Amino acid sequence: MPIWIRGLPIDVRGRTKGVFMLKNHYVQRFLQSWKIFIENPLGKTGVIILFVFMVMALASFVVPHINPMYDPMIGIDPNISISTGPSLTHWLGTDNVGRDLFAQLLEGAKVAFIVGLSSAFFSIVLGMVIGMISGYAGGTLDTFLMRTADIIMVLPSLVILLILSSLFGQFNIWIIVFIIAIMRWPAVSRVIRSQTLSLKHRPFIEASKVAGASHLRIIFRHIMPNVLPLAFLYMTFRVTSAILVEAALSFLGFGDPSQVSWGMMLQWVWKSGNMFHAPYWLLPPGISISLLTLAFYLLGRAMDEVLDPRLRKEGRA
Amino acid sequence: MNMVKNSSLIQMKGVTKEYIPRKWFFSKDQSRVVALNEVDLSIKKGEIFGLVGQSGSGKTTLGRLLVRLEEPTSGSISLKGSLINTLKGPSLKDFRSKVQMIFQDPYQSLNPHLSIAQTIGEPLVVQGIGNTRQRRSKVLHTLEIVGLSPGQDFYDRYPHQLSGGQRQRVAIARAIVLEPEFIVADEPTSMLDATIAIQLFTLLLQIRETFNMTILFITHNLAAANYLCDRIGVIHEGCIVEVNTAKKIIGDPVHPYTKKLIRVQPCFDFNRG
Ligand SMILES: Nc1ncnc2c1ncn2[C@@H]1O[C@H](COP(=O)(O)OP(=O)(O)OP(=O)(O)O)[C@@H](O)[C@H]1O
Ligand SMILES: [Mg+2]
Repeated sequence: MPIWIRGLPIDVRGRTKGVFMLKNHYVQRFLQSWKIFIENPLGKTGVIILFVFMVMALASFVVPHINPMYDPMIGIDPNISISTGPSLTHWLGTDNVGRDLFAQLLEGAKVAFIVGLSSAFFSIVLGMVIGMISGYAGGTLDTFLMRTADIIMVLPSLVILLILSSLFGQFNIWIIVFIIAIMRWPAVSRVIRSQTLSLKHRPFIEASKVAGASHLRIIFRHIMPNVLPLAFLYMTFRVTSAILVEAALSFLGFGDPSQVSWGMMLQWVWKSGNMFHAPYWLLPPGISISLLTLAFYLLGRAMDEVLDPRLRKEGRA
Repeated sequence: MNMVKNSSLIQMKGVTKEYIPRKWFFSKDQSRVVALNEVDLSIKKGEIFGLVGQSGSGKTTLGRLLVRLEEPTSGSISLKGSLINTLKGPSLKDFRSKVQMIFQDPYQSLNPHLSIAQTIGEPLVVQGIGNTRQRRSKVLHTLEIVGLSPGQDFYDRYPHQLSGGQRQRVAIARAIVLEPEFIVADEPTSMLDATIAIQLFTLLLQIRETFNMTILFITHNLAAANYLCDRIGVIHEGCIVEVNTAKKIIGDPVHPYTKKLIRVQPCFDFNRG
């Protein structure tokens, strides 16, 4: 038996067992990152704002059950037929048909999360897969995919959405989510591609190739875990832009009319002619849009610093 | 071992490898790098063959050609008499189960996101060998062989929880888990300190004994090659200038370049720290 086994340091011979070690690895890494993250002033602010909106979004599920007139879409206060200011029964007041504005604001938070997160998620997945394939394959496929990305990247997504919806009528919210995702993958795929380029000649990839691994296996088993953190970083920025696009679209009157959202509230206050004499109606959705997008932006910046130690040091100094 | 010692396992004939720098519109291919120039080499079954040469002489390139990470520009390479240049699909995969490589830098050759078990088990998974339980016991067994013992303690770790020497043992375990016939070890100890290097040499010798493997040991260190190898080939600017038994190369070098190499070699430059 080789003698050097006895020479191993103590910690190496520790008795930690399988499952525990595995969990430990991820939990430890997560906790470490989380600590840096939450100590970062940007991250902390972002998390607090986000938390408030999350509570609002959750509350939107409860409010209609308190009283049916608090349903954001179809709940109408029978005593009110014009827009009224804040009162005890309607904290933010009502719109011109007697619907509760606070309930609509809560519903808007929920929709913003759904639209923002899901379209960001789709665009990240799409961008990541295309970026990895493009970088790994190289050659003509790479050129083709990246030219496509360039073309889509320079298209103004809001204008495209406006053209599409004026051609096909008003879209429902999921189609909007989907189109935003399609419009927003190129930036991600560029970043993931360049990361893939730097990974694909690393010895651990070549070792896997020498063992006979297929291209798909190399891409998804070896490259993906290494680019995933970066993809998630980009996801937070995508959320911001998705929320803004949806809000703009709704405000301009091309949103999903059967779905309350902050942009839709702004559209209604405009359309009903209350823009300039109902600040209780105009301001809350406007401020909410700004704050929520700000929160995601701050999260992204903070995550940037967690992922890139160089930035972290600069930020601290 | 002696019975088969004279049959050659690897045969290279007139192998040339040129790297053509990336072409731009204006530069026509004036400057191509000839990494290997008309190399003829045969490696016998069961031997440890040392490939010695200075930095940039083409050692890594030769190793990469043998495991088909790279294609030769011209010339033929065969394993046990059958050409490997043209292998494709299933026969390439079969070839991959017979030939493995150990890389120079153990900090680069393990995926930081895969556990030790996943890393060593990958060749088995890829080649479709055994079920989950069989693979687990094979991996544990291989961990013991490379001196990471008890295997359970290392099984679920991640590379960042290991020292450089331990990582290289994991890389060796990955290379031998399929029990290949031939292993290319590209300067496996150049990133590690001398005591670890000696341990790894012992391990390679032990593996050769146990599995009757053939090993191409690439190094820039003649002392190491002398310690470990049966035969040594000296490579200089892409040409193999001399091949002989280790004893003869050290004791009775013929080619002037070999003589120079021996002269400039400090006795044991292992421990320069
Ligand atoms: N992918 C490549 N593209 C262009 N030139 C290359 C490439 N790989 C190697 N070369 C060139 O081929 C020659 C041989 O390189 P190789 O890596 O085989 O040397 P080596 O003997 O392994 O050196 P070292 O001891 O430093 O590892 C060098 O001149 C190198 O610049
Ligand atoms: Mg080399």
